[in-house]
Amino acid sequence: MSLTHLNARGEAHMVDVADKQETRREARASARVSMLPATLALLAEGGLPKGDVLATARIAGIQAAKRTHELIPLCHALMLSKVTVDFTLDSAKSCVEIQVLCRLNGRTGVEMEALTAASVAALTLYDMCKAVDKGIVIGDIQLETKTGGKSGDWQRPEEAAAVEQTSVEPSRTEPSRTEPSPAATAEPIEATAGQAAPAARGDATVRVLFLAELRERLDLDSLALNLTTLSQATVGGLKRTLALRDPQLEALNDTRVLCAVNQDMVRDDHPLNAGDEVAFFPPVTGG
Amino acid sequence: MTQVANEASRAFSVSIQASDFDLRVEQDVLTRGRGDIGAVVSFTGLVRDFNQRPDVVALTLEHYPGMTERSLERLITEARERFPLTGVRIIHRVGRLEPGDNIVLVLVASAHRQAAFAGCDFLMDHLKSRAPFWKKEHTATGDYWVRERSSDREALERWHPESTVTAEGEAVSPLVEQHKADDSLAEASGEERQSALATPKFSGES
Repeated sequence: MSLTHLNARGEAHMVDVADKQETRREARASARVSMLPATLALLAEGGLPKGDVLATARIAGIQAAKRTHELIPLCHALMLSKVTVDFTLDSAKSCVEIQVLCRLNGRTGVEMEALTAASVAALTLYDMCKAVDKGIVIGDIQLETKTGGKSGDWQRPEEAAAVEQTSVEPSRTEPSRTEPSPAATAEPIEATAGQAAPAARGDATVRVLFLAELRERLDLDSLALNLTTLSQATVGGLKRTLALRDPQLEALNDTRVLCAVNQDMVRDDHPLNAGDEVAFFPPVTGG
Repeated sequence: MTQVANEASRAFSVSIQASDFDLRVEQDVLTRGRGDIGAVVSFTGLVRDFNQRPDVVALTLEHYPGMTERSLERLITEARERFPLTGVRIIHRVGRLEPGDNIVLVLVASAHRQAAFAGCDFLMDHLKSRAPFWKKEHTATGDYWVRERSSDREALERWHPESTVTAEGEAVSPLVEQHKADDSLAEASGEERQSALATPKFSGES
């Protein structure tokens, strides 16, 4: 094993890729931006002073991917064929997960582009939120997968993912490595992934959260559901649809299970609208 | 940490945090520069080493970020509608805690002791049954989620004698009780609230 960016004399050099064969290459990278719950709530509501944070951070990430060769000294300029930057708001861990995908047909890998996009999207989130929360932490900037090229495919080992799941059970986020939970396999239900909150506002999806004992019992922490699949756009209609898709979600009909929509306690007749956050949870036991 | 961004309501604040708190520091902050506070009542909740099982070695507190803060702010608004309070500080810890650790602080200030005692009692009773927190206890023989207690439910109901609670709706109704009034702490004018106050409804042991 050797470092390709060093020549025989140990000096930095740019690798000549002219003779390498063009292959389809793809890389996924992620980053985590941890913030105060109140900041995350503001971000979700679009209440931050600089405006639409996630849309801005997405554009910043895409622009950064295209300019990676200007930032990282020995990187080649690439003709990227696709860059996506997605965000998942994780209220349980009070953070935003950033997932980036970069793709091209070319002679060199796109890991640096994916990592740069994740980094700059994270920095932009910080810039957009720093007025209300200077303590935001950017962390876990990492490659998740890469495919194509001479060195072949690579995937982040599973145990690395397990380590970060020690404390209060986190969301399952990265779509690339998430095993679909039993409840997430029915077709119109998707485990909440890259297309989370911001995209959800545009179409007719609601985000459904399961908290505390309920989450552990169902082995499910969140899902996204299109409102058009409901017989009735109410909490009761949502419960009926979920129970039909997955019998274990009958548990939501237990009278002890509580429901909040956009963080207000509601009853079954409460109407649902696109972009709503619905949470189901057991009786509370704080204090 | 959620603090209502209004200088007049700086005296009414809520924090959800993993770190410990210091009662003396919090009381100093609450009363500093205030000549109108005649009484401060505090309640501190601690982790016991026995609960549903006798050998609790730790517990993990989970909350619903955003909603938890808002629900506590609403409870403060409700308490201010009932009692002439001049300051409230609620701190609730989350994450892993061990026996002897602080869990919750409710600090209530008023001109006179009765309102401070009653306000603190009201806030704790409501926090127990209405704020979205969940405890998971860890013992040598396994982990489990703590079940709600009927005594907490009864403690809440004594504040709401007018609401008839059916057996079926028991777990739901006190929680669902929506606070339709303006729930912004920032806009609760102290004077107006106080002058509108009836005698505290609290009538001792039920």
